This record gives sequence, structure tokens and C-alpha cells, in this order.
Amino acid sequence: MLEIARYEASRKLRGALVLAVLVAAMVLLEIAIYPSIQHSGVDLDKYMASMPPAMQAAFGNASLTTIQGFLSIEIYQFLWLLLLGLYVAYQAGALIAEDVERDRMDVLLSMPVSRSSVLVEKFLSLLTTIVVLNVVTPVVVYVGTVAVGEPIPVSDLVMVHLLSIPYLLTCGALGLLLSVAFQRADLAQRTGLGLVFALFLVDSVSASANMDWLGTISPTHYYDPSAILTSSTYDWTGAAVLLLATAALVLVSRAWFQGADLR
Amino acid sequence: MKAIETTDLTKYYGETRGVEDLSLAIEGGEVFGLLGPNGAGKTTTIRTLLGFISPTRGGATLLGRDVERESELIEAKRHVGYLPGDMGFDEHVTGERLVEYHAAIKGDVRSEELLELFDAPVERKIGEFSLGNEKKLAIVLAFMHDPDLVIMDEPTSGLDPLMQERFYRFLLEEKARGTTIVFSSHVLSEVRKVCDRVGIIREGRLVALEDVETLLTRNGKRVNATFEEPVDRAEFEIDGVHDLRVDGTVSFTFTGNYDELLDHLGRYTVLDLEIDEAPLEDVFMKFYGEVEADA
Repeated sequence: MLEIARYEASRKLRGALVLAVLVAAMVLLEIAIYPSIQHSGVDLDKYMASMPPAMQAAFGNASLTTIQGFLSIEIYQFLWLLLLGLYVAYQAGALIAEDVERDRMDVLLSMPVSRSSVLVEKFLSLLTTIVVLNVVTPVVVYVGTVAVGEPIPVSDLVMVHLLSIPYLLTCGALGLLLSVAFQRADLAQRTGLGLVFALFLVDSVSASANMDWLGTISPTHYYDPSAILTSSTYDWTGAAVLLLATAALVLVSRAWFQGADLR
Repeated sequence: MKAIETTDLTKYYGETRGVEDLSLAIEGGEVFGLLGPNGAGKTTTIRTLLGFISPTRGGATLLGRDVERESELIEAKRHVGYLPGDMGFDEHVTGERLVEYHAAIKGDVRSEELLELFDAPVERKIGEFSLGNEKKLAIVLAFMHDPDLVIMDEPTSGLDPLMQERFYRFLLEEKARGTTIVFSSHVLSEVRKVCDRVGIIREGRLVALEDVETLLTRNGKRVNATFEEPVDRAEFEIDGVHDLRVDGTVSFTFTGNYDELLDHLGRYTVLDLEIDEAPLEDVFMKFYGEVEADA
């Protein structure tokens, strides 16, 4: 059981650790400049308020002059919600397609394994990246904020990471579906990047254009790091919606893959 | 029980024909060669048998199990080894790690013994392997769980001649142990060395299915001879000579009695003589009409 997941996860571990180190370095750098921003005397909140509503929405409507607001804009709204979402979708785009392209899928499926378990276990291997980053980063963030004398509440920090997992899984499931549909890694990966980015924009723009309903198709709608950090609002329903969406996307991918001819 | 049975197996890729109306039965314990020029449909046949692609029409069984039902196919695959034409192994892991991975999924009965026989440098990353070493690793992976049936797509391409010989010997030993072996090839000489029967496939269709013995008799030898004295064409229009050409050298395909051929050649002063297996393309030419340029 789960041999494929274990194998695939171990292949991703190194990349995940490297990424975690890079993210940690960036996070520490951001936190290190926070005190100077806070004491610069510039009215950054006024500056933010002068931006178009869609931009404010993209920044998560937070204040740059509190540590929570600063972190949610500089780290969670962009690094986590956008960049990491893009990265996971990109990684997922290769899950099936790369093996098909490199003739590895033939070798794998020549063994007594079902296409369903290949697909599901490969999807689960995405958890390597997701878990490593969500374990390492909060520790780094906490240590960093303590070091600059602005410790943030541990519960909010834990929740902002915990609730990001369903979101990232949804991005991964989107990539998985594209990977199965195209059976070409580069195409699936590029489409995944475009799609996740477009959905992020749709959510940002629709919120300010009184078209909230449009934003509901975007996964970003169901995970709001700013709300978690600045007002301790945890969107459990949103997390459930994301998990359901993930399950649905994986099931569709599975059905597709089961009936597909390998190129 | 039949190791493999196909009934009117047909696979189209859109408009392109992969294989059409292929019906054949391969017995347990048999060594079967699927012979044909590149692009003839050998790989399509193999990939359909293993369920990587589903037939457009017709069907197939593998060790008595329907290849279109996944649960049955998985059951069959416990006892099937596969050596793909393009191996595309994960180049970032070591050979050892890949063997371990395969062992975890399908079991391992004899990888150690096989690695001694086909000494791939498994402690290294596969990205550093030569094509020959990748092939050796592929052989180990195909046989490590001691399968009843092994299907191989062009198994000897990339192996040096010495290793090819070792591989042929190994296949004969496997045959003696009762393993059914099916492989595709476009090299007649290797098929004749190890196979009991061959199916010749051309443009997606099975055009002949015969014993190797029969095929060889019909196939004959390619003879090239240079004589000191001038030779008249009529002198070589004897029994068993086909495709005769006389222009300085005398060349023809010979399917008759070898003793008579030697007697005939003995009447001349032979400066140079070459007797070789007729290339596969000639077999097609001779027995099945002309061959397309894809050969």
C-alpha cells in the first residue's frame, strides 16, 4: 500500500526542503525590514487606501503598519496565496503527464497497480511540498516576529497555515486534472499557472466590482489569510468547500485517466 | 491455457491504423517473436495487450484474463514482466532505488541473481547509465518477480553483441524453465536464435504466422560471389535461386539444397564469397509482395 505515494514523495522531498529554506530566508528578510517600515513615518495605510479597490482586494485589505497586516500582505497574500498556489498547480501539472511523456507510465502500469491508485497516490505526494512548507514556515515566522519584538498570536499563525492546506490541495487538483487531460507536462503546467493566476485575479476584481458571485468560482475566495491574521476569523466552511472541490477534481481526473489511452 | 490470445484486435489512432484484425494465440511456454519493420504495429499490439491503450475493436486476453477489465488485467500483471522499447527511467534515482521500488509493488524473487548476470551499475544514478546499462536494468526489472509471461519490445537494441549473446542464452534458459516469452524485433537473426514461432506483422496486419524452421527454409540465404572467370547469367538460373543479379559479382537469394549450391560454386574459381542471412526486408519482398518505404 502507498508504495507509489512514498516513492513519489521521496522524490519531491529535496525540492521541498530547498524551497522551504528559500521561503524562510525571504520571510526573515521581510520581517527584518518591518520595524523600519513601521517607524518610517510614512502613512502607508493612506497610500494603500489610494489604490484602486481591486488592488486593495488583491492585497487582502490589510494594514501595513501592524505586524499582522504586514505579514498578511507581504507573505501570505502573495507568497502563500498566489506564488505557492501557482507552484503547487505547476508541480501537479507534471504528476501524470511527465510520466506519460517519458514512457515511465508504461513501466509503472505494467506492474499490478490500478490507474486509480497511481493517480491518487501521485496526488498525495504533493503533500510533501505542502506539509514541509507549512511546518517550517510558521516556525520561522514566529521566531522572526519574536526577534523584532512583535510576536504574533500562535493560534492565528497555526490557523493561517492549516487552512492553507485545503487551498493548496485545490490548486494541486486543478493541476492534476490538466495533467491527465493534456498528457503533456509543459502544456499542463503552463495552463495550470495561467488558470490559478486568472482565478486569483477574478476573485480580487469581482470583490470590488460588486460581482461577488463571480469570485466564488476562485479557490482564493475560500481562504483569507488577512482575515485570519488581522481579525482571527477562521473560515471553516471555506475549508470544507475547498476540500470538496479537491475531492471532486480528483474524482474527475481519476475517471478521465481510467478511460484514457496513454500517448 | 493460452498465454496470449487476440481476436480481431484493432487499434486506430484517429484515422491512423495501428493494428487491424490481429488474431493470434500464443501458448504457455512458447517463445514467440513478433517480427516486422518499424511502424508495422508491433508496439501498438504490445501496448494494447498491456492495457496502456484500449482496442478500437476486437479484444485480447493475457494469461486468460480480459485486458479490457482492469481488475482482471491487474491480476494477470502479477505474473507478467514487461521490457519497454523506450525505458525512460527516472534519471534522478539510483538503479538500486528503482529495483527496490519495483520490488515493493510486484515482489522480488531473483533480482540479486539477475543483477549478477546483467551487471548494471545499480549503485549509480540512472541518469549516468549508458543505453546498454539501462537495458540491462530493464531486463532485471522485467524478470525479477519471476513472471510466467514476459513481454519485451525490441529487447536487444542497445546491447553490445557480447551482452546480446548472454541475453539469448538467458532467454533459452528461461524457456527451459517454462516461462512464456513474447518479443518484438526487426532483426530476423535474433528471432531465429530463440523463437519457436514468429508472427510477421506488416502495415498493422498479421501477414504470416509460422514456425521458425519453416520460415528459415523459405527465407534462405543471401549469396554474393566473385569469380575469376566471367559468368553468364544463365549458368546461375538453377533451382532455389531467386533475385539473381550478375554484374561483376553474382548475387542471389538461395532457398535450395546447400550441397548442390556448393557443388555448383565448386566449378568456378571463387575469389570472394559471402553467404549471409537474407535481410528481413527481402523476406517481405519475396513472400508478401512489396514493402513500403517505412521498412
